Amino acid sequence: MKKNKIAVLLGIVCLILTIAIIIQVNTIKRTSSTVSKRFSEDNIRDEVLKWKEKYDKETQNLDNAEKELAKIREEATKDDVTASALEEQITLNNNLLGLTDLEGKGIELTIKDDPNINTENVAILDDISNHLVHDNDLRMIVNELKNAGAEAISINDQRIVTTTAITCIGNVIKINDEKVSSPFVIKAICFPERMETLTRGGGYLDFIDDYGIVVSLKKLEKVRIPKYTGVISSKYMK
Amino acid sequence: MILIAIIIGCIVGCIIGINIPTIPYTYSGYLAIAIIAALDSVFGGITSTLKRNFDMKIFLSGFFVNAILAMLLTYLGEKLNVDIYLAAVIVFVGRMFDNLGKIRRYYVEKITTRKIIAKAEATIKKANEEK
Repeated sequence: MKKNKIAVLLGIVCLILTIAIIIQVNTIKRTSSTVSKRFSEDNIRDEVLKWKEKYDKETQNLDNAEKELAKIREEATKDDVTASALEEQITLNNNLLGLTDLEGKGIELTIKDDPNINTENVAILDDISNHLVHDNDLRMIVNELKNAGAEAISINDQRIVTTTAITCIGNVIKINDEKVSSPFVIKAICFPERMETLTRGGGYLDFIDDYGIVVSLKKLEKVRIPKYTGVISSKYMK
Repeated sequence: MILIAIIIGCIVGCIIGINIPTIPYTYSGYLAIAIIAALDSVFGGITSTLKRNFDMKIFLSGFFVNAILAMLLTYLGEKLNVDIYLAAVIVFVGRMFDNLGKIRRYYVEKITTRKIIAKAEATIKKANEEK
């Protein structure tokens, strides 16, 4: 056996080994940002991660299945006038319920906590909580958007549907049982020009702007609003 | 030569490893045990090179078979709820230390022999000059 050959072989094996080690280190780093040293907690974390992975996979499967279904429905109702009218109805209803990803022209509204205020430099008679975005602010803004004719709204990619609640849970805000925090990106599909009135003097955005909350409104030709990923239950509806 | 090849392999491996995506967390346990098996093989390879009885077939088959067997054991352990992979870790790491000991001994002996020879030569030279 020549020495060169051995060297090349060992080099290749080391190459594979290092790649594997780096992958492993990256994987661990990505998944355990909040490391707990206790063994039982580790196990629970393992379980959670595994379930999360399974959940993601199943959601993807569901997505694919829905796409397939839409295709099949389209195919089946192509030649039938009544059926295609019904199909259109179903699509419209799904859009209204928030079960589909939507795209259209609209606005993107970003609101952020006041960046210049912290617990040290807040005035004595002032309250720092005045300079933060609260659940109530979001509710008011969603209300204004709906009032102005927005057809679909999402906050930090959480679709606002009929069963959505926006509540305060301490440091963060809960929307659709998911935690969201500042900065809030509110997207709405609507007639963009009409939304300019949102920033009118005396309006709610003007009001929170006075408190130092950063508000920026962008008109966009294409806004993408994700679908509602939760479950709409109908247990007591008769 | 071998050392240079190993270092180049490690550097290139680092660069490639950083740029390729990570694996799902579920499989990281298997990769970890495979890494330890492979490390054991590399140490075994270095030892046998030093002893001049390196066999490519044995080395490569050991590399793959050990890694696969270790992963299968981990899988079986997960199914049976016994941490069998610990046994694999103990065996591999034990062998790693074993091989490391052999490598160390080889180099220490080499250096010691060289020193003794140098000393002897110096003594002979001195004796010759005195004559």
